[in-house]
Amino acid sequence: MTIVALIMSIILGTGSLAIGYFQAGQADHARWFIWLSILWILAHWRKYYWVSSVAFLLTLVGAGYGVWNQFTTLWMLLGALGGLLGWDLSDFARRLSYAGPTDDIRGMERRHLERAGIVALLGFGLAWLSDVIHINRLPFEIAVGLVLLAALGMTRLVVGLRRY
Amino acid sequence: MGSHLSRSLLLGFISYTLILTGIVTVRGEFITLALPLIVYLLAGFLFSPDEIKLEATRHLSTERTLPNADVTVTVTLTNRGSHLEEVLIEDILPADLNLRVGFNRHLIRLPRKSSYTFAYTVTGPRGGYGFESVRVKVNDLLAVTSREVQLEAKGQLFIFPLVMRLRHVAIRPRRTRVYAGSIPARAGGTGTEFFGVREYHPGDPPRAINWRASAHEEDVLYANEFQHERVADVGIILDGRLRTNEFARHHSLFEYSVQAAAALGDALLTQGNRVGLLVYAAFLRWTIPGYGKIQREKILYSLAHARPGGSEVFAGLEHLPTRLFPPESQIILVSPLHEDDLTPLIRLRAQGYQVLVISPNPVKFELSYLSKTRNMELAGRVIHMERTLLLQKVRRAGVQILDWDVAQPFDQVVQRMLSRPPGWLRAIGR
Repeated sequence: MTIVALIMSIILGTGSLAIGYFQAGQADHARWFIWLSILWILAHWRKYYWVSSVAFLLTLVGAGYGVWNQFTTLWMLLGALGGLLGWDLSDFARRLSYAGPTDDIRGMERRHLERAGIVALLGFGLAWLSDVIHINRLPFEIAVGLVLLAALGMTRLVVGLRRY
Repeated sequence: MGSHLSRSLLLGFISYTLILTGIVTVRGEFITLALPLIVYLLAGFLFSPDEIKLEATRHLSTERTLPNADVTVTVTLTNRGSHLEEVLIEDILPADLNLRVGFNRHLIRLPRKSSYTFAYTVTGPRGGYGFESVRVKVNDLLAVTSREVQLEAKGQLFIFPLVMRLRHVAIRPRRTRVYAGSIPARAGGTGTEFFGVREYHPGDPPRAINWRASAHEEDVLYANEFQHERVADVGIILDGRLRTNEFARHHSLFEYSVQAAAALGDALLTQGNRVGLLVYAAFLRWTIPGYGKIQREKILYSLAHARPGGSEVFAGLEHLPTRLFPPESQIILVSPLHEDDLTPLIRLRAQGYQVLVISPNPVKFELSYLSKTRNMELAGRVIHMERTLLLQKVRRAGVQILDWDVAQPFDQVVQRMLSRPPGWLRAIGR
């Protein structure tokens, strides 16, 4: 189950990026993402789990580059989301490999896929809304307030990260 | 549980980079890209367990067993803290123990106030093994955060050497102890072995009268006297030196020596003797002499931990601490023997000890697994002659030797060779 979801995520991520790049007339770059998906799946098959972190970073770099060059944001967003899911599921598959045959692997897979799916949908929905909804005139006070909120959030995040 | 880059760190770093890029370039799309990552990260933090309070207990089906016998290890993990979504448990196995049935690693979900029990079976060679802790890694539902804890769950397993039952081991130390036993004490008294004839004393049983000797004189009656049988002090020395035990292709005679020491210790303690054990290897391991079942346990415990080893100091038998053994007691050396050991053995005899050497035959042992070529046969014959010569010299020094071909069971060899004192020893009345 996890493997199927993992392959689908990789295809979603790299495929979306490839489509986005192809639409922008960068067919050569689009082909690189196809190769990246093949490499990623092969590496997972050979249990080189570290490759998934590199591949995730590459999809994000690809999405960032696309955004910078004003390619279709939706494809870039889907690319980043697919990369995130692929990275998550690859690590989950690694963790599952430690489980014994008598452990409830099916149940764990089902619960993880449900949660990862919900989180991905939520993230995608929020990102899509942020992309669609544009507030043309943002008063300076609100901008300052948002910056302060972002700073607070970041501080909380750093504190959280230091705990682990 | 291999170490890997912290997932939260990686996600945090990427999210920050995207947000900063968005702010610097005044391009909201970068922040849009960061949003799924931030949602993922926050979901992980939000659902991470507040309190990790786990307890582990361990139960072994037996704490004392024999080599390669199955032992079931049962581990129970109890969660007294928050609900844990993903718990990776790994029970750390002591080195040399092999997993036979089941698994020592599990990935589970552990709700609050619940327990999880798993069992597996291990086997192993002779030795003492300590189970120390259970390694537990707790992840949140997306494994963004993870915490690793070692839970103490101690357990001890002793794999004792196989003890062969020996019927009787005949030893003749010069000095015995005062308690009644089965070793002839070289003194007249009650016993089964004839000692001599003396004048009849009132109180002697009439059946002790030697009528044939009494017939020679008119007024005097003579009575047979038997040898007192008492317990003796016995010191077993187990030679664990690498130079005498280890051979080519990782073959070793040490396990045979351990087996012999265990069987002898058991038999001599059963006869009521006071037995001590000295393991002479990289260092000295001394088990103080004692009697009975507790001493048997102590000796087996020491033998379970015995390992062959080499050191400059204990390369020869010169540093054998003879003061550990009572004067004129019986010493049993279990050793394949080296040509340098002749002088220390002669010295032991000179000090008044009765010495018995149980020598697993290294020549026959090595030839049994080496290829049977002509050169090998010739080399074997030469080494065999050298060993025979060495054993002859040792025997001449008054040391009793049992040359043991390890292909034959030890109990059978002992029954044949050691159930009675050797003829020459009986002939000289010692």
